Amino acid sequence: MRKSRRTLVLFLALSSAHLLLMSVQVQARSGMPLIQAAAFGVLAGVQRATAGFADGVRSFWSDHVASQGVVAENDVLRQQVIALEGQTQAQAALVGQVHDLERLLNLQESVIPPTLAARVIGGDAAPGALTITIDRGAADGVEPNMAVIGHAGVVGRVINRPTAHAAQVQLLIGHNAGVGAITEQSGAVGPVRGGAGDPPLGMDYVDVLKEVVVGERVLTSGLDGIFPRGYLIGTVVRAIKGSGDYSEIAVHPAVDFSNIQMVLVILARPAGTDGGS
Amino acid sequence: MKVAYALLTVGLALVVQMALARYAVGGRWVFDLVLVGVVYAALYWGPVAAMWAGTLGGLMQDALTGSVIGVGGLAKTVVGFGVGLAGDQFVVARPSVRAAAVALVTVGHRLIIVGLLAVVNQAWNGVPWAAVLMETGLNAAAGFLAFQVTDALPGVILQTRQRRRSSLGRRRW
Repeated sequence: MRKSRRTLVLFLALSSAHLLLMSVQVQARSGMPLIQAAAFGVLAGVQRATAGFADGVRSFWSDHVASQGVVAENDVLRQQVIALEGQTQAQAALVGQVHDLERLLNLQESVIPPTLAARVIGGDAAPGALTITIDRGAADGVEPNMAVIGHAGVVGRVINRPTAHAAQVQLLIGHNAGVGAITEQSGAVGPVRGGAGDPPLGMDYVDVLKEVVVGERVLTSGLDGIFPRGYLIGTVVRAIKGSGDYSEIAVHPAVDFSNIQMVLVILARPAGTDGGS
Repeated sequence: MKVAYALLTVGLALVVQMALARYAVGGRWVFDLVLVGVVYAALYWGPVAAMWAGTLGGLMQDALTGSVIGVGGLAKTVVGFGVGLAGDQFVVARPSVRAAAVALVTVGHRLIIVGLLAVVNQAWNGVPWAAVLMETGLNAAAGFLAFQVTDALPGVILQTRQRRRSSLGRRRW
């Protein structure tokens, strides 16, 4: 009897502590950075170790056990590298032309921001959170709100303060995620937000007078101060003109979020932070 | 000691959760191994150990996901308390029954979290039933595996020892 009463008292005490913790955050309208930083700091090292172990096992498997067909794959990849080198040279020539034009027209020269490759070492701690952990942090120059891209397009942004060698990235498809966007052909501007269902991205506040067409590419507009202009977000899969002032635009993301192994952190400081962009 | 075991279980579950979630980013596979760990602790070590495990596991999850800290902690504390008490009152011995308990608790836990977030955010976003269904199935499967392995492990170790002893005995003979 006494034991069950003690259990009940402990339950009530723990529940009250949780409620108190929640009410403090609701009143302050902010999270608890210290607790978050401590928890992330503790687990980032463990995640790095488990990711290293998992990658080691996988590379052993792929290097020594499942290496059939590697020669044929190698040939295909060589051909792709040659094709990509050609494309890179063409792009470099175009960039040179753009710089020349900018100089001629006395425009401010556009700068290609430096990037940093990072490995994904962890996923969501809780279901539905849609964050990943990468193995680059403050020691590598990563700061909160820096944009993160993949080989196909925009992945998300760095959230919270990174530890020395790890950072947390909020995925673009997450509920509170968003990015300033512009459609490539029609030039419609508006924020793209995550958590929209199926497809997971939706573009808001698009003027009903803009003729947005299905299949049109959606790029970053650079207006949010986080993502530089011109990176691919996705493709329009549904464009419905509503009765109001805005169209309903659904966007299919360019990145396959179920298979992200490597990402690039854009090391340009977001607007509004020390140093500016 | 029970509390220490429970905390270790939940810590391990959190590490495995984050390691596996790396390959399931994007919301297609939804699972919560920390919740499975809390139910495991509740059924093996009772409500007190499970409540501490739920508190620690939930708070860590809240902190790592940037959510309101305390929501997951409270939900998992409630789960630990409820399952622990039920485990004391009823005989829940078979792995399949325990897995069914995990499934039931998953739905309850998700409803508590959705309710608490609705109160905190002052907005009702509805219950994502498809995700809840997926989570229920995967959590139950993970729970079944964990309970089955834990139940089978002592027997396997005993058999191995006996086999080794009998083979040593034959060698002496």
